This record gives sequence, structure tokens and C-alpha cells, in this order.
Amino acid sequence: MPDTRTRLRAPVLAGGLLVLVAVLLCAVLAGASDLGWQRVLAEIWAQVTGGQSPLSAREAAIVWQLRVPRVLLASIVGAALAVSGATFQGVFRNPLADPYLLGAAAGAGLAATLVVVLAPAVTGWVVGPLPPAAFAGALGGVGLSWLVGRSAGGSTSTLLLAGVAVASFLTAIQTFAQQLDTQTIRQVYTWMLGGLNVTGWRQVAIAVPYVAVAAVVLCLSARLLDVLALGDAEAASLGLRPGRIRLVVLAAASLATAAAVSVSGLIGFVGIVVPHVVRMLAGSSYRVVIPLSLIGGAAFLVLADQLARTIMPGELPLGVVTAFTGAPFFAWILRSSRRRLS
Amino acid sequence: MFRRFAPLLAVLLVLTGCATRPAEENSAAPPESEGTFPITVAAPGAPAVTLEAQPRRIVSLSPSATETLFALGAGPQVVAVDTASTYPPEAPHSQLSGLSPDPEAIAAYRPDLVVVYADTGGLTDALAKIGAKTLVMPDAKTLDDAYAQFVALGRATGHQAEGESLARQARDDIDKIVADTPKPARPLSYYWELDQTYYSVTSATFVGQVLTRFGLTNIADGTDPHASGGYPQLSAERILRANPDLIFLADSKCCGQNGQTVAARPGWNTLTAVQHNHVIALDDDIASRWSPRIVELVRTVADAVTHAGA
Amino acid sequence: MTALSLRGMRSGYGDCPVVQGVSVEVPDGGWLAIVGPNGAGKSTVLKTVAGLLAAQGEVLIGGRPRLPRKQLARIVGYAPQDPAIPVGLTVTDYVLLGRTPHLGLLARESRHDLSIVEEVLARLDLAPLAGRRIDLLSGGERQRAVLARVLAQRASLLLLDEPTTGLDLGHAQALLELIDRLRREDGITVVSTLHDLTFAAQYADQLLMLDHGTAVAAGAPAEVLTTEALTRYYGASAEVRETSRGELAVLPVRPGSGANPAGADAPPGGTATSGR
Repeated sequence: MPDTRTRLRAPVLAGGLLVLVAVLLCAVLAGASDLGWQRVLAEIWAQVTGGQSPLSAREAAIVWQLRVPRVLLASIVGAALAVSGATFQGVFRNPLADPYLLGAAAGAGLAATLVVVLAPAVTGWVVGPLPPAAFAGALGGVGLSWLVGRSAGGSTSTLLLAGVAVASFLTAIQTFAQQLDTQTIRQVYTWMLGGLNVTGWRQVAIAVPYVAVAAVVLCLSARLLDVLALGDAEAASLGLRPGRIRLVVLAAASLATAAAVSVSGLIGFVGIVVPHVVRMLAGSSYRVVIPLSLIGGAAFLVLADQLARTIMPGELPLGVVTAFTGAPFFAWILRSSRRRLS
Repeated sequence: MFRRFAPLLAVLLVLTGCATRPAEENSAAPPESEGTFPITVAAPGAPAVTLEAQPRRIVSLSPSATETLFALGAGPQVVAVDTASTYPPEAPHSQLSGLSPDPEAIAAYRPDLVVVYADTGGLTDALAKIGAKTLVMPDAKTLDDAYAQFVALGRATGHQAEGESLARQARDDIDKIVADTPKPARPLSYYWELDQTYYSVTSATFVGQVLTRFGLTNIADGTDPHASGGYPQLSAERILRANPDLIFLADSKCCGQNGQTVAARPGWNTLTAVQHNHVIALDDDIASRWSPRIVELVRTVADAVTHAGA
Repeated sequence: MTALSLRGMRSGYGDCPVVQGVSVEVPDGGWLAIVGPNGAGKSTVLKTVAGLLAAQGEVLIGGRPRLPRKQLARIVGYAPQDPAIPVGLTVTDYVLLGRTPHLGLLARESRHDLSIVEEVLARLDLAPLAGRRIDLLSGGERQRAVLARVLAQRASLLLLDEPTTGLDLGHAQALLELIDRLRREDGITVVSTLHDLTFAAQYADQLLMLDHGTAVAAGAPAEVLTTEALTRYYGASAEVRETSRGELAVLPVRPGSGANPAGADAPPGGTATSGR
């Protein structure tokens, strides 16, 4: 009998990785400043082989200090948000779930506002106290939602409602804090629109460990997410503890989200759309959706960031670009898959 | 700087006072009052306001206007300024917000004139109900706008002569500074930083126009200086590629930026401006307002241009 | 060997007991049908035996009380009344989920697990549908897939909550025949709640009737299903007859026509109906 399981098959994985590498390369070769892709390619080759590069020290700095870390960070953030979104969709059995559902965005926004309001003259607020504050805020928001949800029963629906309540509460405090010092509104708003503008290798180093740990945990838990889709009662009857699995998996996903938010602000759309696209193209089992969301999210955000920094002389906020490019693509996939189904 | 003109002002006032017909003499009026009320005043690009009498209780919700009012000598007439009005230090500070003015909070000061930089949400009507006039002094788009605002504020507060003198003096000072600055051998480019996320100004803005007078080109201009309303967000990559000769930091107070922090940014130590120490940290307030202190800004820029062109 | 033994079992949600004082013994390979009016607590009993609800009193499965969760899952297979149908999974994926109790937390399924699934699919005639998406199956096929998943667990005690929900007469019969055949071939014990009393009478060895959370009758179908019991506990008017093949059938009789032990008012004008 032919193997009709949904599994991550080697050709699909290899193909996905190949696409990702190609996208990364394109993003490094073309950027906001016109260096000429042949010259950049020559520079990369020179670094690898130790030969002579056509770029000046300043141009080389553009490539290695600015472009490469930014592209890498875009892939890390995209992977984190997409896999986190897939996880949330699996835990809540809701196709509209996104990584910010349990108050991660509200918590990070509040923390960012407090930093900007209370410590405005701190040197380098964007690369200094803001990222760790946003990280802590995101985790704090999720933690609070978890506690509130658990005290009300701990089922997925109460958890969801708790998340909504906590997010509203934190957003209200944030708005109040912003009113205390209205000068800060523009700075916080810019951060909240999401962007990879102020990045270097340091941001990459900050984000990688958390996202890597979360990715490993979630890939290993993919099968359990499939079982969780049966509902708490059936999952328990199959010998699992749904509550405990939810805790571990949500913790990992929130860790990835917090790391992403701390370096890039609030970038929406990636967490909802990418898992759906993966499902339409490769199947609904989380064994496939989790790993391919990592790859798909990375590629998607790298492309979106590429667009954000090259399409106009100024920078477009990344969150705007993801919505603009993601929505029509999603609609097209929806239409073509509907024709396939019916 | 303004105290130098006090004797000149006094002479001008006396002369003007003799020249006009005898106005209603208010025995409690301070000696600088002039009998030119009622008067209709308008800043360029703002609605006209008619003031029946010299305002005695002015509330200023615009930091630039606050500075100008005190420079005009209208300080004693000002009863409250907003939280953003940080200069001069002796201005009567309050908790009023200039960004979202609250008519009720303003009413507590019983003003007869309120100066704002924009009328959003029907503030004029609300203030009219409590008997106060609203004078809108919008963002100056050009230096001429700024001079016109000095004059308008002067007329509105009964310091017409001071206003005209301030305007004339500022114009003369700036013209002189520009003329005296040695022209660099080749045109210099600059990057003006508003905050650490690389928000900048183009040459179409007020500040941009001031710098254009020195023959400087702005790296943020791109193909259209009016894009993004004149305040585009640049990327580090673009700035590095453009390699500006001068870097002006208008975020030294708000965000603690200076030569060292800029040099520490990834890749920025390859910029000639950083290597030759042409990174100028400005006072945020002076760099963003259009009060008589604009002359100080022009002076700072002139020094930078001289230093860089040498 | 007694597959399932309940003695004075009490359970419910939170502090509120839904069932109490339930006692019954089901031998290996037997079929117990739990019947009773709506809200009697039938599903609650199943969930309690499946370990999903806390119980007081005695619950012995295979003679052993309080099995750890993982071990319980290898013995007891539970199919709820409304099974969740994950969108997009193939039938194979879905049935493979039934192997979960036999896998470590982070383990993958082996060839052995896959062969078990293939065998179960073949037995339930689902092999041609193995690659089909489970949410695109018909009602009857879907119920078979749920049963396949429970069988893939290699459970010796099946707890089936209303397995014939949504199935027409033909499909319901086919499913029940299938369960009976599997029971005989594998020696599996079946405890099911059944809405349809005739099916309960025809397929189960034992009946347990619940009303308002207490057991009001237990025993062979002929003992439990009496006209009085139906009137008293269901508030229904019905007759219990034997078919030509000697099986029991519960026939609803319209109230007010023919002999009505509840003594309803005679219809005005009195339609003459012949007695039995």
C-alpha cells in the first residue's frame, strides 16, 4: 500500500531551503544603495577566497555591517513569527490565531512606551534598553494571560478570552502612558509599525538563541500538535496531558515571538498568512506545517524587507509591506486551491 | 543678545508713541504699551484674529511662540506656557499640553489670548466661549514666515516695534553670517538626523531651506524633496552610500546622540564625516524651533561649514 | 475475567455529582449498552471510565484501579459523541494518531505502527480512502475512520459514545455489525451508549439504564426493556415485541391510541380501537 501519510519529504525540504538561500542571496546583492550586484558578488567571493575586492572599505561596510545582518535578521524574525503563528493556530484550533493573541504585542508595546517615556535621554534607546524591555513585556503579557486563563479553568477558550482581556488592559495602560508625554507618540508609533532599520550583528546575536531553541522545541512537538487538534478529551484519552503540552508549546512560541518583537517591533500578517500558505501547498499536518513555516516565514520577510527598503527613497514600515504583499497573494492562493477542491 | 537692543527699543517706542494719535490711556498700563488696538493680526497661512485690547493674560502652547514672546518683551503678559516650552527658563510653566490642548485646563488661567501652532478640534470656538482669542502661529515654512511671525506676535501683544526690530535684526544677522562664511572648495553634502531611526529632513523643510542658503546639498532629498512631507526615514545603507560631509544631530538631547555614539554604529566609522570629526550635535530645541534663536542655529551651521570646507 | 467493574461509582463536573451509585460488571468480550433518557448521565459514565473525569467509588478496568494515564490509553479506546475532525488530515494521518499511546513523547511512528494502521484500514474497508482528506468523507465513512483510530490503539476496552450518530438505518446497522464482528474476532469489550433502544437490545449482551444519574435497571435486554420502564423513565409510550427471528424490538406507540397504561384521557367521541 502506498504511503499516504503526510510527512515532510526530503525533496520538499531541500526545495524550500534552496528557495530560501536564493532569496537571501538576492537580498544581499540588491539594496537601498546601488552597489551593483556583480561587485557585491565579487566582494563575497573575495571574502571567501581571500582575494581582491572591488568595493571600498565603506562599501564593504555597507555589505557586511548593514546588509548581511539585516537580511539574516529578517529571516530569523520571519521564521520566528511564522512558526509561532502556526503553533498558536494549532493550540487554539483556530485558523485566525496569530502570535500576538495572548498579549505579546500589547505587552511589548507597553514596555516600549514605558522605556521611551521614562528614559528618553538614554543613549541609544533603540538599541539599548528598548529590546530587552520589549522582550520582557511580550513574555509578561503572555504570562499574565496564562495565569488569568488558568484561574478561569484553563481550557483553550478561556485562555483565548484571557488573552483578549489582558491585551486590552495593557493597551489601555500604554495609551495612558503615552498621554503623559505626548512627545513620545511618534517614536513609539514608528517602533510599533515594525522595521529592521536599526540593525547590526548585535541584534542578530540577541535574537538567534531564543529563536533557535524555540524552533527545535516546536519541530519536536509537531506530532503532539496534530493530536491536540482532536480536542482535550480525545487527546487525554490517547494518554497525553493537553494542558502541559499547551504550556510547553506556547512558551516556546512566545519566546520566539518575544525575541522577534524585541528586535523588529510589531510586524503583523506573517504569523497568520504563512502557515496557511504552507498548508495549502504542502498539507495540514503540523509535521509539515511547522518546519515549512520556518522556511516560508524567513523567505517571506526577507522579500518584504527587500521591498521595504528599495521601493521608495525612504523606508516603508515593514508591517505595511507585509500586509500589502501578503494579502493579495493569500487571496490568489485561496482562489486557486478552492478550484482544486471543488 | 536681545538686551543689547533694549535702549534702541525704548527710543523707538517713544518715537512711535509720539507719532500716533493719543490712544486710550490706561493708567495701569506698563510703559511699553502702545495705543494701536483694536488690531487685526495674522501669521502667514493662518486665519486672522482681531484683538480689541492689548492682551494681559497670554497662554502660549507653542514653544517657538513662547521664545519669541519673551524676546519681544511680552514676558510679563504671559501667564502660562505648555510643557514643551522649555525656553526661556523663567517662563511660567504649567501642565498644559500643546499637542492636545484642553480648553477647560486653559480656561483655568483666564487668558485673553492663546497662542497655538495648530487649531485642531475647534479650539478657537471653545476658547471664544471663555472670552479668549486664539492666535495660530503655524510651523514656519521659510525664514520669511518666521520673520513675519515675529512681527505678528509683536503687533498682537502691543510690541509692534520690537517685533519689527526682531525680524529685521534676525534677517540682517543671518544674511551677514551667510555672507561671511567662506564658500567651500566643492559643494558640501549633509545629513540631518531627527532621531535614531534615521528620520531626516529634506531641503523642502524650514531647516532644510536654512541650510540651502549655505549652498549645502541634502542627502535625503532623493528625486523629490517633497516626498514624505519633507521628513523621510532613511536607511543606514543609504547614508553610508551617500557619505555626507557633515552630519547634524538634532537628537542629542532627546536620545543622547553625539560623535562617539555615531562612530559606534555598525559601519559608520567608515564615513569621512566621522573620521574627520564633522559630526555636530545640536541643541534639539534650537534645531526645531523658529524663534529668534534661529540665529544661533545659523551660527553653529556656519562654524561647521567653515571647519569642513577648510 | 471482568473487563470493567463499577461499584458505587460517583462522578460529575466540579462539585456537582451527575451520576451516583452506578454498579455493573462487564465480562471480557461482552457488550454493555448504557441507555436512558436525555441528560441521564450516559456520556458522563463513559468519560469517567475513560479517565477524563474524577470518580469516587470503585472503577476497575481489567481488575486494576487507577491506572496511569499512558497505560490507561493503551487499554481503553474512547470515541466521543462529537469527534473532532481536524481539517486537512488524511485518513491515514488520523488513524495514525491512534498509535500515540504507544509512542514516546518525542518519538516518531515506526514501520510497525504504519502496518497496524494499514491492517485496521483494510479491516474496516477504508483502504481505498486512505489518502482522502478526513473532512471530505461522508458520515458513515467518517464514523468508520473514528472507529479505526480507536482500533489502532489496540485497546481491549472500547468506549463508544453514540457511534451511530448521524447514520441512516443501513449505515448504522453496518457499523454495529462491524463492531460486533471485531468484538468476536479480537475479544474486545464494548461499552457504548445507544440512543436507539432496538439496536441496544439487538446487539448488547447487557443493558444499564440510567435515569437522573442513578442506575435504575441492569441486566439482559429483555429484563431491562419493559413497557413499564419505558413509561416510567422515558415518559414514552412504547411496546416491546419479539420479531419473527426472536430478537427484541422497541416499538413506539402513539399515545391515546390502543391500550395506554398511563391512563390518558379517552379521546372525545372515542375512536374504536381494537385491543391486542
